Amino acid sequence: MQKQECMAMLLAGGQGSRLGGLTHSRAKPAVSFCGKYRIIDFSLSNCANSNINTVGVLTQYKPFSLNSYIGLGSAWDLDNPFGGVHILPPYVGDNEGSWYRGTANAIYQNLDFINYYDPKYVLIISGDHIYKMNYLSMLKFHKEKGADITISTIEVPWEEVSRFGIVTVDEDDKVVKFTEKIQDPESNLASMGIYIFNWSVLRQALLDDAQDPLTEDDFGKNIIPKEITLGKKLFAYRFKGYWRDVGTIDSYYNANMESLSGKDSIDLFDPVQRIFSNEDILPPQYVGPTAKIENSLISNGCVVLGEVSHSILAPGAYVGEGSIVKDSILLPHAKVHRQSTLNRTIVGEGAIIMSQCSVGMGPFSNPRQSGITVVEDHFVLGKGSVIQAGRNLNAC
Amino acid sequence: MRNVIGLLFANNSANILQGLAFERSIAAVPFGGRYRLLDFALSSMVNTGIRTIGLVTPRQYRSLLDHLGAGKEWFLDRKTGGLFILPGAIQGLSAQGGKFRLKDLQLNIEYLQKDFCENVVISGCNHVFNINYQAALHLHASKQADITLIYTESMDSAAMAGKERLSIGENQEILSIQENNSPETTGLAQVYFADMLIIRRKLLLEIVEGYRAIETVDLMEAIQENLPSLKIFGVPFKGYFGTINSVKEYFDRSMELLNPLIRKEVLTGQDQIHTKIVDNPPTKHGAHAQVSNSLVSSGCTIEGEVHNSILSRGVTVEAGAIIRNSIVMQKCKIAAEANLNYVILDKFVKVHAGNELKGNKNTPLVVLKGSLV
Repeated sequence: MQKQECMAMLLAGGQGSRLGGLTHSRAKPAVSFCGKYRIIDFSLSNCANSNINTVGVLTQYKPFSLNSYIGLGSAWDLDNPFGGVHILPPYVGDNEGSWYRGTANAIYQNLDFINYYDPKYVLIISGDHIYKMNYLSMLKFHKEKGADITISTIEVPWEEVSRFGIVTVDEDDKVVKFTEKIQDPESNLASMGIYIFNWSVLRQALLDDAQDPLTEDDFGKNIIPKEITLGKKLFAYRFKGYWRDVGTIDSYYNANMESLSGKDSIDLFDPVQRIFSNEDILPPQYVGPTAKIENSLISNGCVVLGEVSHSILAPGAYVGEGSIVKDSILLPHAKVHRQSTLNRTIVGEGAIIMSQCSVGMGPFSNPRQSGITVVEDHFVLGKGSVIQAGRNLNAC
Repeated sequence: MRNVIGLLFANNSANILQGLAFERSIAAVPFGGRYRLLDFALSSMVNTGIRTIGLVTPRQYRSLLDHLGAGKEWFLDRKTGGLFILPGAIQGLSAQGGKFRLKDLQLNIEYLQKDFCENVVISGCNHVFNINYQAALHLHASKQADITLIYTESMDSAAMAGKERLSIGENQEILSIQENNSPETTGLAQVYFADMLIIRRKLLLEIVEGYRAIETVDLMEAIQENLPSLKIFGVPFKGYFGTINSVKEYFDRSMELLNPLIRKEVLTGQDQIHTKIVDNPPTKHGAHAQVSNSLVSSGCTIEGEVHNSILSRGVTVEAGAIIRNSIVMQKCKIAAEANLNYVILDKFVKVHAGNELKGNKNTPLVVLKGSLV
């Protein structure tokens, strides 16, 4: 085995309950995004593009879809003899064993795994963000600063600061304070949930944290603030570029739609920093004789016979004759039969909208979740249904 | 399927497609947006469950090997079996055509010797079809046949040029194999050999050995010569069988994919056609794009009009450009206000702004790879 300078631990076990019906049957990182991608593609592609070849993926919530999607990691060229992708579910040991109780606890339970590779640095990332980043630039910064821990940060609008963990820094970008999701923090420098630890520092921090009866086993709430008080050298790496947390229906929808606008979005067409995915082999999309498509992303295997505007169609989606799909997202193999109308709707994987339905209709005064309607995976909406904007259609 | 291995002849380089098969064999000609012609023959074997496949390469095999790699997309990167590249005999022979040249097998005899399987499925790579060989293998076994030929029925004898005409007895035995020398259409359905057969491996080894002295013999000639002493049967293939003998036929077969019934039969049925994955983003249809009755692959950016056409991966169509009845291969750029009708653009062609290219239905205009127009 070749010794790795830096390995990655990818937190992918979160339930993502704020994504509602989209995560009823799969973990958040496995949710389809921007047509042919799944959310975890961005983190895994970043690893591949940063030449980080050893990745531990921590899974817990409904892992089947995620596990089968990741496989050996070959879709991201991460299947290599001196590392590769390892799926790390919770397990039972000799006299203990439990679910992952938090982000820090998940890593703590896999200290043996990191020990096996014994890297110099450990990169901790999460599988639910949309961004392109070269982790090696951050590692270079980490080394230059002689840091124990580096936190990747991004400036966020002041009106949104309460949604994030906020970092306060001195003039040298040394972290002096870390506060998790509070009103009126001192800075607008938000933690992106991406950390580089010196392995020895991480190890000690997790061992100490495990002894603390009051801990919530969370990096943002416990580990980082504690290491600051212990006087460790924490630095804030300033990331410039596109980064989105897609934890809610609103932010998920908006991040998808931003990719249609071109500017200030993730550049999927960039030939250098490519985003890889594990795609099925489907035929090219077919656009019918009377179809109309404008300002949309359409994937392989789609059949479009109706009208699609300002929408995203994932692989194998179908839009029947006379149907109108507007400002909507169709996930893989979703079907909209003839003469149905969709407005600001997310149609889950394999869900079917029968003919002559109207989904996402008014009245629009202050609807729930910004008027975005969500149809859960594999839901079948009967012929002629009329669904008001902002509803969640769940099978159960 | 451990008792069957596959053998694909991808080395037919007859110069029938103008420039399209100039730097590649017919097997490697792009087809249907994201495929190459050999994907159909190769996927058919894989979908049947065959996991050991030998592929006889043509003289110019760069594009073919670039497409195949280690055979991963066809699940052929195996420890047991997998994809075997069999370098074909080339010098001086390429002009003589032939389907399954014994010389190629002589050079690669180890491939046939080292396996223990009973039968070999042999196929050409120049047709558009999606077959599952299970039924044919079943008949081959139950009849204890030496050879089973797969045939297709057609009324269009011109399209079947170069295909042997078969006559078949009551028990599906092959009575005769004749060259198809009469291109006039009789209006009657005839039975033609579909360039696919099953043969006992040991018999094939005997034939290769027996004809070692003669340089240019084709397996089909050898079978014809020994017809009386062999147990040969025929199995019909009733599905879509697209032949490509000219640019017009290449164009027509391509356009037939716009027909949903044919697309379903060939591409989206139970057995899928596998091909190389390139990890392109989805195709972007711009604010003023107008696309109708077309097949569009991934990674395209469309701002103009595309009608009754087939676009390969990564094609750019600028605003105001109009593409009708055309086949546009990978990474072509069609600049603003350009106008194409009945045109086949090979890969990496750039059409400058405002230019018009026009062919017609019977003689589509072919533009060579990498041209600037």
